Formats: sequence, C-alpha cells, structure tokens
Amino acid sequence: MSRCDIKVVLLGSEHVGKTSLVLRYVNCRFNADIPYQNTVGAAFCAKTVRAGDKDFNIGIWDTAGSERYEAMTKIYYRGAHAAIICYEPSSVASWNRLRHWLQELRTVEEDCKVYLCGTKKDLLDSGYVSREVSQDIVATYSQGLCGHFLTSSKTGENVDELFQKIADDCAADLKLMKEVEDLRVQLAKDEAAYRVKNNNYCIC
Amino acid sequence: MEDVLDEIVSSEDLQKFEKVFHEQLHRGTVTHKAQFEYAWCLVRSKYPTDIRKGILLLKELFNSHPEGKRDYLFYLAIGNARIKEYNKALHYVKSFLEIEPANQQVLTLERQITKRMEKEGLIGIAHWALLMNALLGVHYLFAKKKQIKED
Repeated sequence: MSRCDIKVVLLGSEHVGKTSLVLRYVNCRFNADIPYQNTVGAAFCAKTVRAGDKDFNIGIWDTAGSERYEAMTKIYYRGAHAAIICYEPSSVASWNRLRHWLQELRTVEEDCKVYLCGTKKDLLDSGYVSREVSQDIVATYSQGLCGHFLTSSKTGENVDELFQKIADDCAADLKLMKEVEDLRVQLAKDEAAYRVKNNNYCIC
Repeated sequence: MEDVLDEIVSSEDLQKFEKVFHEQLHRGTVTHKAQFEYAWCLVRSKYPTDIRKGILLLKELFNSHPEGKRDYLFYLAIGNARIKEYNKALHYVKSFLEIEPANQQVLTLERQITKRMEKEGLIGIAHWALLMNALLGVHYLFAKKKQIKED
C-alpha cells in the first residue's frame, strides 16, 4: 500500500465548490451537467506532483461542508500538512464561516499551512454574480496565512497554481521533508517485513 | 492506494463517539446524530465484529430516519465491503445510485469494490492453481517411487 507524502484537507461551507476544485485538479475536468451533490462524510483523491527535483504523492481529503458532518470531518484535519479553506467571493455567508473553519482547524492541527481559495472565478468574470467580499478584506485576512488564490474549476484557472504552491511550500519545509523521508523509510521496512512474513506461509 | 475502504478509525475517536451513544442509550433516547456518528466509527474499525455492529446500527437508522437515507446507504456499502460482503455492498451502491444516479463519490466506491472483488477472486484462483500443482507434484513423486520399487 502506498502512502501519501503530503496530506491536504479541504474545508469550507456547503456548495462553495470544494469537490469541483479537487476533481478539476486530479482529473483535469469539470462536468457542468452533473447537478450539485453534497459530499457524504469525506472523499479521498491522490495525485503525484513534482516539486523541486522530487515527486510527491499528494493525498487530498475533500470534507463535507454540511454542518451535519462537522463532528466527523474534524477527524480528517488530523495530520494535515496543508489546508485549503474555500469561500465564494459572491457569498458573504461563506466568507463569515471562514473564521469558524480556521478555528476548528487550529484546534486540531496547529502547524498546518493554510491557503484561502475564492472559488467560481468564471462567474465573477462573466458578471453572472457580483463580488460581495471586498478584495481588501481578503488581502488583510490572508496576510497571516500561506496564500490566497482565486480559482475557477470550470476553466481550470489558478487550480494547478494553488496545488503547486502547496507542494513547493511543503518541499521547502525541512521539518516536513524529514517527516516524509522517515515515513518512506518506515514504509519500505514494513513492506520488506510483510514480504518475509508472507514467504513463510507460501506453499511454493 | 489509500482510500475510503482502507481508512481506519483511531481507538480514541471510536471511544469518544461510543461514550456519547451509550450515555444517550442509558438515558433512554438516542439521537440519530449520535447513533450515526457511532456507527460511522464502527464501520471504519479494523475489527469485523465492530463493523457488523455498525452495519446493524445503520440498518436501524435506515428504517427509522428516511431523511438520512443516502448517508446510511453509503456507509452500509463501505461497511459491507470492508468485511468482504461485496455483493451486499454493491446492492447498497445500486440503491444509492437509484436516488442519485451520477454521484461521483458512489461511482468511485463502486469501482473500488469491483476492483477488490476482481483482485481477491484472481488471488483465490491463483492459490487453487498452486495447490493443485503441489498435489499433482506429490502424486507424481509417489507414482515414481512406486515405479522404482516395482522395478
């Protein structure tokens, strides 16, 4: 079983587009024909990404935004190296919940790198919706965090950039890299032990 | 690959939700939320007895709380897949897809379950083949020994 080097968790209110963001990044597609489906509990996706001169397996836990799952989704924050908190620039309500998500995250994972992500940029650009959360507020709030991206899962704009920034920041984090290396060594040992154990029982 | 079928609940989490459930049970009324959260931990346990208990709790919820149907179907599928009751798991997947035909999360789960069925089916066949080979080998050796003695 291969393990993930970098664990990323997605947070944010219902319907802001967390799942669409992950599917765009992992599968490079967006399906406008599929109606909205709220995520059950949490979904997992993985992708290999190159940062520096190394490949990393990045595992993404896409948590449900619905309040119904809150006690459950908190469990997925544990051990996360990075978190993406999503909001919709056209929804003040989703922005106001941001502080709540950040607090929840910090109670579980203090050192996690946090990135803000404004979603549905295409709707803003086309004038279909108007911006309700001012850019100044976003800029001020994101100062203490690792970055802010305005993305469109429909066109793909800034999606790769967001995840690449996360991978690059993680690759530059020496403490985290040591952790990743130790985990790889441990995994190789476990696999070798597993093979030896299984050979004992083999009839051939 | 790490996925929702391999994920294992930590014992602290299981105990935490178990405590809430038992406290409510003791008081006489268990909320759907408490029962669901406990069942959700149980089906992600590494012990099959826990998983079976979780499945029972989810079935009870499925019959008493129609609003949460899709959640219960989803975790019933996961629980059954984890104890290798693949046909039952696929049955719950189909029931879910009847409500939401294009649900990506459930379609992914369906693929993971069928992949496991194929893998384990093939491994099963491979083991049988090896066993048959070994038996034939022993048979051949005995036959040869007998032949040598007779000669």
